Amino acid sequence: MEPLERFESVEDVVDRFRAFEYVMTEQAATVVYLATRLQKPVLVEGPAGVGKTELAKTLASCSDRRLVRLQCYEGQDDTKALYEWDYGKQLLYTQLLRERIDTLLSGTTELAQAAERLRGQEDVFFSEHFLVERPLLEAIRSPEPTVLLIDEIDRADEQLEALMLEVLAEFQVTIPELGTLSARTQPWVIITSNTTRDVSEALKRRCLHLSLGYPSAERELDILRIKVPDVGEQLLRKVVEVVRAVRQLDLRKAPSISEALDWARALTLLNVPSLDREVIEETISLIIKYDKDVERVQHELPRLLGIIDTAAPPTAHAHEQGDHHHGHTHPTSEEEAYHRHAQGYFGAIRSDSK
Amino acid sequence: MDAPILRFVGLLRQRGVRISPAETLDALRGLDAVSLARRESVKTALRATLIKEGRDEPVFDELFEAFFSVDDRRRAGGHDHDHDHDHDEDEPAPPTQVKVSEEPPDFDDPSHSHELPADVAKYFDDDQLATAKRLHKDGTRIDLAGLSQELILGERKEDIEEAVAQLRHILHLRRLTNPGAPGKLALDGGEVVDADLTVGSVDHLPSLPPGSMLDEAQVEALRRQVDGVIANLPELLRRYLEKLMALERPAHSKEASPAYKAAFSEEERRRMDALLRRLGRELKGALSARRMTAARGRIHASRTIRANMRYGGLPFRPVLVAKRQDRPRLILLVDVSLSVRNTARFTIHLVHSLQSLFSQVRTFAFVSDLVDVTPYLERCELDEALGMIFGGEVLDIDANSNYGHALATFHREHLSAVNRRTTVLVLGDGRGNGNPPHVWVLDDIRRRARQLVWLTPEPERYWHLGRSDLPAYAELCDRVELVRDLDQLEAVAGIVLRPL
Repeated sequence: MEPLERFESVEDVVDRFRAFEYVMTEQAATVVYLATRLQKPVLVEGPAGVGKTELAKTLASCSDRRLVRLQCYEGQDDTKALYEWDYGKQLLYTQLLRERIDTLLSGTTELAQAAERLRGQEDVFFSEHFLVERPLLEAIRSPEPTVLLIDEIDRADEQLEALMLEVLAEFQVTIPELGTLSARTQPWVIITSNTTRDVSEALKRRCLHLSLGYPSAERELDILRIKVPDVGEQLLRKVVEVVRAVRQLDLRKAPSISEALDWARALTLLNVPSLDREVIEETISLIIKYDKDVERVQHELPRLLGIIDTAAPPTAHAHEQGDHHHGHTHPTSEEEAYHRHAQGYFGAIRSDSK
Repeated sequence: MDAPILRFVGLLRQRGVRISPAETLDALRGLDAVSLARRESVKTALRATLIKEGRDEPVFDELFEAFFSVDDRRRAGGHDHDHDHDHDEDEPAPPTQVKVSEEPPDFDDPSHSHELPADVAKYFDDDQLATAKRLHKDGTRIDLAGLSQELILGERKEDIEEAVAQLRHILHLRRLTNPGAPGKLALDGGEVVDADLTVGSVDHLPSLPPGSMLDEAQVEALRRQVDGVIANLPELLRRYLEKLMALERPAHSKEASPAYKAAFSEEERRRMDALLRRLGRELKGALSARRMTAARGRIHASRTIRANMRYGGLPFRPVLVAKRQDRPRLILLVDVSLSVRNTARFTIHLVHSLQSLFSQVRTFAFVSDLVDVTPYLERCELDEALGMIFGGEVLDIDANSNYGHALATFHREHLSAVNRRTTVLVLGDGRGNGNPPHVWVLDDIRRRARQLVWLTPEPERYWHLGRSDLPAYAELCDRVELVRDLDQLEAVAGIVLRPL
């Protein structure tokens, strides 16, 4: 199939993404649409697991473009992101062509003369032939249009950001030995960031900005329905409710859409008909990644079960109802204790009474 | 189209949002690409192109709602502000509304398709319009109901211009104090609208791309909406202008207000960000035990070979690596009394940002009592923390400065925090109001700390005026720096954060 040239409208974006099992907000679709129309990179920010990378992947597959991915990490430099000279190959060619070089240089008597002649042949060794294309260069030099995903740019050092500016704004790369290589095709660029640090002003200015957050209940249910179709509607609703309730707790890492998906999939594999206390306790580690958080959730479990129970027949769950009340008072008292401690700790009272 | 957007950008800038001309151009191009009939699309397009920082989003939302809406009476009908991004019934700015307009009723929420026509019908009564809004009983016969259709359906530019000319005619009449027929358009109360502004805004109309990207259904939807608005145009314009004026006013009055405001000017924010970025970068490098390429150090064998492939494998240019120094710990004692407040504001902003990056920064605020404010700075947003510290929630800020007491408290309770990796920063003017200065505390601190730096907003020649203990303190400090603005703070930051 031919790569897609452009989206027709915002609805077109939504529909195409949906066909590839990606449920989009109106806002995200508008930004993607604008980006493809204006030929601007999109900077997607948001917590982990809300579908930032998936957005780029889906953009590639729904437009039949090839995905070129640059995964950023600390200490990454231009030889890993942009291009590198293939020194090995250059060396090999120099060795193989030694005889030819000898003939070329035969007849020269002085060193300066020989050097002059060699200089005339420099182009042979600094040509695109010896260039190792790294993702950024690859994306713009690709003969067929691509989607360039620059993943987790906040992990990379700031120097790398500066290197990207030329690529992102002008879609060209300047190589000192060769000159400027401009894009054969303009890639659609998606940059993701988990905001562990601020992305530089200069880069932001060149991008359209999109912040993805946790989805609404409706959209989350929609996503689960599409991605895990063989689970009953009832169970999915409960999964969404519990995940959303867990997100409300003050956790180190709140569960994202990806965790909700993992959980729903796991529940299908385990062939669980409905969520109850036991099931949640056994599988909670799928959505909670830190021990402390797991403890916290265990604490709140009665309340979470209460959420589910509202949908279930009341008679069978008299016990949990009791638990629910117990669980409800507990966090409140804990909170009070926390405040008392905090006040003393800050010294507000102590210093007054000096 | 351009002018209202430029004006909108101007308002955003006035509120401290940084927007470059390139971004403004993006916004205009972006609006070209999306359907203007959809309020939500317009908002998203503007947001994506103009707003790059999460902190600016509330300002944007607020301004967008205020700027691109004429009629808040309709918004009041059943939509609260939290959900305004979904189905607002607002009209955009008067000059743009004719094209930009609100979302068509079929968008997103089916319930509106029932509500809206009924809603509009209130404003739209053909008979009434035809008679009551006619300006002269004979002669010119300007019919507003017809006018709105012309505005929308006129594909050709001259039609639009014609309509605008008529509109302007009405507005001119409105400005006349003639109590006759034009009075129908005017409000009974006779409030004076800034009519020049009105006419100026209407001048933007001809620059709209006439009918460029509207399909039949949208035109129909728009026309229905516009009819309703046109019927109430004078009223709407007046309220819109009042709102606009109100928008432009607070930016100035805010600066004049004596109460403490945590807001920073755009320039300050930009410089502060740049400073923090530099510090963050320098300190971040220092964080890792990783060996880094350096001008001097050990030879890194594999990287040397790799880098020297181009010289045939001869180690022509060795690659040297060295371990970076450990980063310093920082303790700040900040006087937050009125006399040094402005400097303290900058310093605490700086510290707050450092705090979120590094665990080893502790901040104590004092006037007379000394309070560890580190947890506030770690947990709260900057504005909130500043508000708490300067708002008197954390400590009594109206007390008289007592440096001796504050220092003694620090010595008694927190001296263990000072070790040879610690840099201690004291910010204050050293005016202890005649209380015992307890200079010995500084001596103790200096002996334990790597360096002790005093930041003061007063130049040295003023120290002997009034009762300042600063000369006594200054003797014990490694250095005393004058810090009154960002420039000097930057210089000090360089000294303080130098690796050990």
